[in-house]
Amino acid sequence: MALAVLELKQVSKFYGDYPAVQDLSFSVPAGCLFGFLGPNGAGKTTSLRMILDILRPTSGSITILGADSAARVRDRLGYLPEEKGLYKKMKAWAVIAYFATLKGVPTAAAKKRAHALLERHGLGQFAEARTEALSKGMAQKVQVLASIAHDPELVILDEPFSGLDPVNQGVLEELVLDLKARGRTVIFSTHVMQHAERLCDHLLVMARGRKCFEGSVDDARRLLAPRVQLRARGDLAPLRTLPGIDALSELTPGEWEVRLRPGTDPQSVLAGCFTLGLPLTSFEATRPSLHDVFVHLVGAEAREAGR
Amino acid sequence: MRRTLLIAQREFLENVKTKGFWLGILLFPVLIGVSALLPAFLARKATPVRTFVVADATGLYEPLIVAAAEADGRRARERAPATSTNVPSESTVRPPADEVHSRFRRVPLPPELAGNLEPGILEARLRPRLAENGTNALFAAVIVPRGFGPGSTNALHFWCANQADGSLRDLVERTLTAEFRRQEYARLGLDASVIQRTEALRIPIADLNPTKAAGSERVGLADQLTQWAPSLFVYLLWVAIFAVSQMLLNSVIEEKSNRLIEVMLSSVTPTQFMMGKLIGIAAVGMVMLSAWLGSMFGVALWQTQSAAQAAAGSGAGEIAQALVSLLRGSWLLPAFAFYFACGYVLYAGVFLTLGSLCNTIKEAQNLMGPMMLVLMVPLFLMPFIPRDPNGPLASFLSWIPPYTPFVMMNRVAAHPPVWQVIGTSITLLSFIVLLLWACGRIFRLGILRTGQPPKFRELLRWLVGKDHP
Repeated sequence: MALAVLELKQVSKFYGDYPAVQDLSFSVPAGCLFGFLGPNGAGKTTSLRMILDILRPTSGSITILGADSAARVRDRLGYLPEEKGLYKKMKAWAVIAYFATLKGVPTAAAKKRAHALLERHGLGQFAEARTEALSKGMAQKVQVLASIAHDPELVILDEPFSGLDPVNQGVLEELVLDLKARGRTVIFSTHVMQHAERLCDHLLVMARGRKCFEGSVDDARRLLAPRVQLRARGDLAPLRTLPGIDALSELTPGEWEVRLRPGTDPQSVLAGCFTLGLPLTSFEATRPSLHDVFVHLVGAEAREAGR
Repeated sequence: MRRTLLIAQREFLENVKTKGFWLGILLFPVLIGVSALLPAFLARKATPVRTFVVADATGLYEPLIVAAAEADGRRARERAPATSTNVPSESTVRPPADEVHSRFRRVPLPPELAGNLEPGILEARLRPRLAENGTNALFAAVIVPRGFGPGSTNALHFWCANQADGSLRDLVERTLTAEFRRQEYARLGLDASVIQRTEALRIPIADLNPTKAAGSERVGLADQLTQWAPSLFVYLLWVAIFAVSQMLLNSVIEEKSNRLIEVMLSSVTPTQFMMGKLIGIAAVGMVMLSAWLGSMFGVALWQTQSAAQAAAGSGAGEIAQALVSLLRGSWLLPAFAFYFACGYVLYAGVFLTLGSLCNTIKEAQNLMGPMMLVLMVPLFLMPFIPRDPNGPLASFLSWIPPYTPFVMMNRVAAHPPVWQVIGTSITLLSFIVLLLWACGRIFRLGILRTGQPPKFRELLRWLVGKDHP
């Protein structure tokens, strides 16, 4: 694994007696696209704020870009907060340039970079527009650009896709992939699994302030048993005798679902059917989606928390 | 420091771009000008002519009343401001007579009421015209009963629907009282002209000030100004704090409600953020204030020059001259600058902190109320401080830091004891340091807070407790 740009060790945050985050440990390797998943109220934003030293953990330690506090390496970090907003009366380029100068970019260079970024991301004609005149999607793009205008090594995006239409979500995905291609590390939180599935090298799932999964997308999928959908004329009950079969159920007449034990090859079901002489009309092995994994991992908690 | 200045710069530029800022800058001199010129203008143009009738059953007093009303009109013409000319001229130009009209005009009784009607009947017939509001309306009716004179108990009837404007009533009363006295002197065999001369006697009085150098103890206009000018500075400080307080509140609330605060805090420390705002808005306030002071100074200078050119120095010119020399050569200005800076930082810190606790302007306005009460106190007390600048009230208030700048500004011209000046300054400065520390702490916790503003007890816990954001 590459050098870690971020490492949390047993980080907890209490508000009074209420535990917002408990015992959170993980590390993010350099150059990785790191997804931070979890239902509402799982403690994602609190964790990100602690990483940025906006909030202080009650206990535990955070090492970021080799420093013990984000305050020391502010200029090398980019941050897009969950709730989006801009200075309404400022022009688009001026907002981007302003945040870049606050991160240590010289004024003239910041101005040039702001214009270049807007141009590259299709907002060149809106550079002189006041941000209050921009559409929500455009404003959000401006904000993302403002958070990366100083070319940070580590970019933290809190819910960057929320509120964007599919086209703009695609544009933002490209931007994130572009950052990765240039060797930057990106941590983003989301509860839209498709983005995580497409983008992430590495995932962390939180629920009720605790980590409940960490690993790659494939690791996550392996958490759920693979399923096989079968159609047949006749009873498939004899399949239960095969090894590796966890459960068998008839969803509708003639349509069956087999849940396999983890590690079982779906092909063995097909082979078993031939051996047993069962009259199959269709066979489909499905990979569990990240969505299923997410619901499996946090569904109960999310419902609990929402109640 | 660079970041603090960047924040200050943005804050300054954004505020300077607003319409409110330019309105504030332009409105103040305009208001001063209007308040200086409007009364004269209104007196000339907007005061209606009061028409009145006189029915005098004795036939003795009507001519006196009419003559007094005419004399009043003549005096008004003489008092009317001369049209100022830059060309020196030996005689000032008076406006033409028809532009300055008398305030009162006697109109004859309507023909149907002329003749010797019973006063009761006359009054009953006049009533509707006195009560109405149209162009035909009468302002007042003066009914002199039969037998009216010194020693008589018959009262003069003054009919008038307007109880606010007593000028005509006063005129009638003054005129007839003088006449009664004249008749009484004559009855007693006294010479009225001797009495008039006697009553005109006044004692000569010279104002001397023991604190001034020997030979120049005589109190002039400049000395009075030195004592009163600080009040002007106090007003300016007050207006400046008042003008920027809203700006301070709003500017934090913008970042809070937009959640920009998080981006800011990932880039700068809360202290840098707060100081940047403080400096930026202070700069806005300074520009506004310099514009105001500059325009006042400019008007004063212009007045002095035109007064110097005109042969006779008018009162305004003299005051302006004194003011200019006062501002030029005294240590009041540095003292003013010191107390202004202290007062500003003190209140600005409080307002910024209040802003950091609120999410909406509405919440902020609720918190503004108590602050405004605190700010009103020096304004109410101001008339009393210059009268007794080293008295117990002034000395006492000097030691209360939020009021020190206001009170000490007023006192500096009266040479307060040096130990008090130093003592109160140290108290004030220590208080500001403590306050900024407390504000910084509350600010750090407040800016990230959403939902209801915290309770007072909670704030205290933030200050003394180990709460971390």
